Amino acid sequence: MAGATSADAAGEGFLSLRGLTKRYGGFAAVDDLSLDIGKGELVAFLGPSGCGKTTSLRMIAGLIEASAGRIAVDGRDLTHVPTYERDMGMVFQSYALFPHMSVAGNLAFGLEMRKLARAEIERRVREALALVHLEALGDRKPAQLSGGQQQRVALARALVIRPSILLLDEPLSNLDAKLRDDMRAEIRDIQTRLKATTIFVTHDQMEALTMCDRVAVMNRGRLEQLGTPEDLYERPASAFVATFVGRINRIEATAEGDVVRLGGEALRAARSAHGPVELMVRPHRIEMSAGAAAPPQAQDGPRNMLSGRVARSVFAGDLQHYEVEAAGRLLSVERSTVSHEPPLRPGEAVTLSWRVADTFMFERAS
Amino acid sequence: MSAGAPGARGPMLAVALLIPIFAVNALVFFWPTFNLFKMSFIRGEATGALTDETTLANWTGLFRDSFYSELLVSSVTISLVITALTLVLSYPIALYLHRARGLRRTVLLVLVISPLLTSAVVRTYGWIAILSDGGLVNSLLKALGLPAQRLIFNTQGVVLGLAEILMPYMILALLAGFGRLDARLEEAAATLGARPRQAFWRVVLPLSLPGVMLGCLLCFVLAVSSFITPKLLGGGRVFLLATEIYDQAIVTLNWPLAATLSMVVLIVFGLALALYARAARL
Repeated sequence: MAGATSADAAGEGFLSLRGLTKRYGGFAAVDDLSLDIGKGELVAFLGPSGCGKTTSLRMIAGLIEASAGRIAVDGRDLTHVPTYERDMGMVFQSYALFPHMSVAGNLAFGLEMRKLARAEIERRVREALALVHLEALGDRKPAQLSGGQQQRVALARALVIRPSILLLDEPLSNLDAKLRDDMRAEIRDIQTRLKATTIFVTHDQMEALTMCDRVAVMNRGRLEQLGTPEDLYERPASAFVATFVGRINRIEATAEGDVVRLGGEALRAARSAHGPVELMVRPHRIEMSAGAAAPPQAQDGPRNMLSGRVARSVFAGDLQHYEVEAAGRLLSVERSTVSHEPPLRPGEAVTLSWRVADTFMFERAS
Repeated sequence: MSAGAPGARGPMLAVALLIPIFAVNALVFFWPTFNLFKMSFIRGEATGALTDETTLANWTGLFRDSFYSELLVSSVTISLVITALTLVLSYPIALYLHRARGLRRTVLLVLVISPLLTSAVVRTYGWIAILSDGGLVNSLLKALGLPAQRLIFNTQGVVLGLAEILMPYMILALLAGFGRLDARLEEAAATLGARPRQAFWRVVLPLSLPGVMLGCLLCFVLAVSSFITPKLLGGGRVFLLATEIYDQAIVTLNWPLAATLSMVVLIVFGLALALYARAARL
C-alpha cells in the first residue's frame, strides 16, 4: 500500500491503464477502463463471468489487442508492444504447462528465451522450485503431477523470469476447496515476499477480499469500484458492488432527500436522493431485540428502527440466520451465536435497528 | 476390457463385439495375404500357368537381379520424397484448420476433404491437363517467352501428382494428432518471452509430432502402394514396386513374381510400422 501511495503521488501507478477498451463488433467487452496499480501491490479483478476481467488481463499481457486506450508499466507505453517483449509472468486458468517438457524444462523455458547462461538458468530453476516446495519433482512431466502441484509449477514458471507484473487468471478455480485455501495463503505469501506487482482475476469474492490489497469490481465491461476490501464492503460505490460483495438486504422504496418512507415508518440513509431507490443494509449490521420496546439509542450515531416479526430462524453454527417480516418485506438478519442467548422463535415480535451510516441508498431505474 | 466394465460381462461383451471385424479381416485380408505368401514359393510357367512345384527361385531372383533392388530403393526413396513434400504442403493448412473455429473451420474442412469425393484417376488426368507439354503451365511459360519445361511423364510428375492426391489424408492425420496442441501453450510461451518462431520450434512443432508421424506413416504406405497415378503420370518411365506388381500380375501374368513383390511391399510396410511404433513411444 505504501507503493500505491507514492505512485499515486506521482500521478500514475506502476501499472497504469487509461481508457482501455476492447470492442467486438458493437459490443464492448471492456469499456473505458482506467486504473493505477502500485509497485508490489496485489489487486484483484473481481466480477461475474463476462464482466471483462479476463479480457482486461489478456490485453495487459498483450494476448489480445486493445481497441482503444493505453497500457503503461513504469512509465513505458506497452500498448503496441508484443507479448514476448512485455516481461509479464502469467498463470493461466488451465496452467498451460508444456506437456512435452519436464517441470525443470518448463521453468527454464523463459530463462532460455532470455539467453541466460546455463549455470545461471540451473541456479534460478532450483530457486524457483524451492520457492514452491517442489525441489524433488524437477524431472517429472506435468502429467505426472497433481492439480495443486501443476498450479505451483505454473506459478514458479511465471515468477522465475522475475516479471515486472504477475498476472493470475483464475488460478485457483480448478482446485478443490481445501487445496484452494492452502494455495490462497501460499500465493499471498510468495507475492508478499517477492513484492511482485500482481493482478489476480477471480469471480470469487472471498478470494478477492481475503488475498488482495485492493479489488477492482467490474461489471459489463466497466469498472464499478476500485478500493480496499473494507471500502467495497463498508462503502460500496454502486448497487452492483453492494450486492456482489457480501450479502445484503435490498429494500425498494422512494426517496425524498435522505428520508425514505416505508409502511408508515421513516428510514434515513447516509446520502440523499429523489425518486425510486434501493435501500441496502447488511444482515449482520442489524441489531434485533425481542418485543416492541425501543432499544436504547446507541452512542455511535443516529439509527433506523423498524418493528417486525420473526418469520424464519436457521441455525448455521457461528451464526443464527433470521428472516424478519417488517414493513411488509422480508429482511435477513444475522446474529452471532457467541453469547449463548436462546434463539428467537418464529412469530416473536422484534425490533430491528441499524445505524444510518450503515444504510446505503442507490438510485433505481424506474 | 476397459477398466470401467462392470463384472464379468465386460470382457465377454468386448470379445463379442470384436468378432465381426476379426472375421472380416480374416476373410478378406489374412487369408488372401497367406495365399499370396504361399504363391511366392510356387513355380510359374512362361504361359502364366501355375505348377504344383514349390521353389525359392522367385525370392532368390529378386536378390540376383539388380533391377529389383533398384526398384525397391527407388520406390522407397520416391515415397519418402512424396511423403516429405505432402507434409510440408499440408502442415500449415492443418495448423490453420486446427486453430480455426465455427463455420470457417467447417467450410475449410469440407474443402480439404472434397478432393476425396473425386477418384484419384480423374485427378491424375487433371494433372496431365495442367502439366503436359501443351498444358496450362507450359502455355503460360510460352506466353511469357520462357522455355517449356518437361513436368510430366517423369519422376517429378509422379511426386507432384501423388503429393496433391495424398494431401487430404495427411491433413486429416495431422489434425487427428494435434490433440495436445493448445492455443494457451503458445500464449504461455509468448508471455515467457518466446517470439512466434521460437514458440513454433520449441512448443508447437514438438507437440504436433504425433500427428506428423501418423500422417507420414499413412502417406508413405499409400505412396508405396499407389500404382494408377505413377503409371499415368510416370508415362511408363518411372518404375515402382506397385506398378511392377501390376505389370507382372496383369500384363506378364507372372503371378508368383507379383506375389513375391507384394510380400516385399508388405515387409516395407511392416518396417515402416515398426519404425512408427518406436517413434510414437518416444
